[in-house]
Amino acid sequence: MIRSSEILVGAFVLVGPACAFAKPIAFANGTTVMVEYGAGTMQEAQIFYAPQFNYSVGGGHVEFDSDVTSETERITYARLNYLLHRWNLESAQANVFVWGGAGSATGSTFSGTEFAVNAGAQVDYETRRVYASLKTDLQKANAFSIRVDTLQLGIAPYKHDYNQIATWFVVQARQYTDDIHHGTEVAALLRLFKGGAWIEAGITNGGKLQAMAMFNF
Amino acid sequence: MNRYRVLLLAFLMLAPLVVGAATIEMHVNGLVCAFCAQGIEKKLRKFPATADVVVSLEQRLVAVALKDGQDIPDAELRKALTNAGYTVTTIQRSDTSIDAIRSRLSQPKP
Repeated sequence: MIRSSEILVGAFVLVGPACAFAKPIAFANGTTVMVEYGAGTMQEAQIFYAPQFNYSVGGGHVEFDSDVTSETERITYARLNYLLHRWNLESAQANVFVWGGAGSATGSTFSGTEFAVNAGAQVDYETRRVYASLKTDLQKANAFSIRVDTLQLGIAPYKHDYNQIATWFVVQARQYTDDIHHGTEVAALLRLFKGGAWIEAGITNGGKLQAMAMFNF
Repeated sequence: MNRYRVLLLAFLMLAPLVVGAATIEMHVNGLVCAFCAQGIEKKLRKFPATADVVVSLEQRLVAVALKDGQDIPDAELRKALTNAGYTVTTIQRSDTSIDAIRSRLSQPKP
């Protein structure tokens, strides 16, 4: 049984780094669809609708396949994302997002279906030439507790403008708990976006594909 | 003669109200990403008075072309951009056409 204190801690504590998708809230009255292939260890799909610029609601499905053990976990969740604070600077923007949700899980380490909670946070800073993001995402049930921490640092070779293709070179460092992957997984990524479409792909230090696509409309 | 002068004076006084500004130019803080600025364009195009919208990340500028004889109050513009998640620093109106603004924005910065 998950204790309420654990849920509260999971929901509100800002822990380490973050994941490969940009922002959990695109813009007011906007819908965001995201799919990610995380080097064979994590696959995730999400859809969110933002009634206002500072929160969005939706859900997702994530699958973890340990490359250390034979553990696999599959979680389907509903989630609320909230923009805790935004700094609109003259030539930069910074954000703090938090989220929390609940859903059901199945997996190889237990039988049947378990109630699961999801919580996380993201801090990011962006200019037209540099980008940094630190995110943590926790998926917890009785049988497992998986936290994925991801740090991304990006640099743009040129300043893109509206209606131009934006190009970013991104280095990503990611750690998993619960024996999903040992050590830090580092990936070199190429990110391209224009209008409401965003694609990102690269390779990890283990020679695996890391890719993500996101659409805002 | 006096009647013509009165008519001319009345025309000159009323003309700006009838014609109005062609465009509204707003400088916006936090405008760093085209992906995110979509929200601004989407919101501004919903105003019935909006004819066109131009966004420049380089100039941190959002320009709205107005339909003939129509306008959008400053308070509504500020509210729209604030609700899109951005901070408006200035709002200026002018008779410059949106095409002239596009042309100006396409020129390299000195």
